[in-house]
Amino acid sequence: MDVLDLARLQFAVTGSLHFLFVVLTLGLAPLVAIMQTRALISGDPLFERMTRFWGQIYVINYALGVFTGLVMEFQFGLSWSGLSHFAGDVFGAPLAIETLVAFFLESTFLGLWIFGWNRLPKKLHLACIWLVALTAYASAFWIMVANSFLQNPAGSVMRGDHLALTDFGALLTNPSLVMAFPHVIGAGLFTGSFVIIGGSAYHLFRRTSEQEFFRRSLRTGVLWAFIGSTLAVGFGYAQFAFIGELQPDKFKGAVPGTALGVMILIGQLIQFIVMLGMLPLLFRNLLARFRWVHPLLMIMTPLPFVAAITGWLVREVGRQPWLVYGKLSVADAMSPGLTKGMITLSFAAFVGVLGLLAVVDYVLIARTVRRGPTRLDLGAVEPAEPSPTPALAL
Amino acid sequence: MEIIWLTVFAVLLIGYFALEGFDVGVGMLLPVLSRAGERAGEPGTRQQHRDRLVAAMAPFVLANEVWLVAVAGTLFGVFPALEGTVLSGLYPLVVALLASWVLRDAGLWFRRRIDGGAWRAFWDAVLCAASWGLALSWGAALASVVRGLPAQPFDLPALLYGGVVAAAFAFHGRAFMAWKLSGPSESPRTGRRLLLSAVVAALPVAVPLAVVIPSMLDHVAPSATLNVLSLFVLPVVPIMIGAQVWVWRAFGPSGSTGAAARIPSFF
Repeated sequence: MDVLDLARLQFAVTGSLHFLFVVLTLGLAPLVAIMQTRALISGDPLFERMTRFWGQIYVINYALGVFTGLVMEFQFGLSWSGLSHFAGDVFGAPLAIETLVAFFLESTFLGLWIFGWNRLPKKLHLACIWLVALTAYASAFWIMVANSFLQNPAGSVMRGDHLALTDFGALLTNPSLVMAFPHVIGAGLFTGSFVIIGGSAYHLFRRTSEQEFFRRSLRTGVLWAFIGSTLAVGFGYAQFAFIGELQPDKFKGAVPGTALGVMILIGQLIQFIVMLGMLPLLFRNLLARFRWVHPLLMIMTPLPFVAAITGWLVREVGRQPWLVYGKLSVADAMSPGLTKGMITLSFAAFVGVLGLLAVVDYVLIARTVRRGPTRLDLGAVEPAEPSPTPALAL
Repeated sequence: MEIIWLTVFAVLLIGYFALEGFDVGVGMLLPVLSRAGERAGEPGTRQQHRDRLVAAMAPFVLANEVWLVAVAGTLFGVFPALEGTVLSGLYPLVVALLASWVLRDAGLWFRRRIDGGAWRAFWDAVLCAASWGLALSWGAALASVVRGLPAQPFDLPALLYGGVVAAAFAFHGRAFMAWKLSGPSESPRTGRRLLLSAVVAALPVAVPLAVVIPSMLDHVAPSATLNVLSLFVLPVVPIMIGAQVWVWRAFGPSGSTGAAARIPSFF
């Protein structure tokens, strides 16, 4: 592999890892916020335990979303400095807005939420998770604005050797954005609810002591899987008209063509299963009672993740060889002076470290699911003990 | 408009050092401070001392490290011509910095997720080593920027400046712990010392920044881009400041005694 291939593969691997974790973050954040809202309104301790249990899974998953996101943000400058030289005046704006108005607030409010359990007033603590969810969606929006510009460089003109921003509104109404953003939101809800369904099915199948807890979780999961899959599939098909006009050859290659087929197969199949199978079986909790179905529900958990990755493969591989469609090729965007030694070093560092941490993170999520809601770190209070006087000698 | 955005960039970068500096410092000093606690005859094992140190900084980390994400975003949006040049010019150092950052955070997020001394001690070691990596690669990166991005960034001045940054962060980390664990009577004094150590932690970046900032003015994005940034970002600045202030009010020294002491830390 030459330098260009390695640089592309590095970005593809970090990007794919990033989205595996981000798609679950996007799905779980609003669902956890809804659980906590129900806990506050009803006063039912079950909802508080649901918030803490699914919230802990959300938070463990969140860690890798951040790690991979950091590496991605800096990789633009490391490997693809040609992009900032050519299109930085346009592409940089949504990225800068994302970091300042969305992620900055998301991270700050998440810290307040994680460490504010039992410390902040209950209503303010609830407000924190809603702000986290809101800013997570704002973050997704601005990233999609930036990505849609690469797909269809709207709102800009060539001036000398680079693109200049002429109409920011055109970036926000970019045809590549308007259907793709709700598609991603749907995919997030779809993924988040399938994790809830899969985890609940495990406990229902094993007949652990938390039957009521996971029956209620399963109901929430199925309901949101229906909403999410409908959004994802509907806004998925809605993109075809635009893509046919903007990038007519998008699906011609072997990779995007196959990926598109896999994504549609998964999306369509699961949508039917959710709508015609799972949703009607919520009647009298039949789905929770039919024990033979639960292994199937568990096996289906990874499918939305596969669909999400194939979706990005379609979108990103399908625009090759362009980085900014029709204007700047990927090869021309590579940083001048990038050597094989440099890219090999960073490839080993990033892909090695992130890959290992991703495996650890999934093991931790699986352990948390298996252990159930009995002993949770998130929102825990220790029984009173003789407090050690923390007069650290400094 | 250029001046506003140059100021935003400078405030974010200096703020990152003044805030995240103590998290990195506490991470670096984890073995030293936990042993100091042990020698002073405080109850608990060395692991429990480390837990207490990490718990003290934990609520601040997410709100502090995000300043650097904002620095990178601002660099891309306001100085697009510089972003690629600087980051690819600092290539091996940025890779080291990112790897350290990710591993430091992994140490924090993972250390309490599985019970057992070996697991937690392992991630504490990662946390400490990666905090050192962060401080040293920051020092080397700043030394390289000031000297106009030399081809070979690993040399004696880089190492020395890494030492300066590490020392400043360690000083800041110690001052933070003193403030965080102080009672109501001493907290005004330790608070003043924390402010002083924040200035010390910010100096290693403020000085090089003052040197390069005049040349940065030539690379500012055109006004069409800056206007868009201002329109979307400036109205949110009060919320950003408010959220940061909230963190400090919620997790100040009074939070580490009484009922709040019984809340186990998530990190």
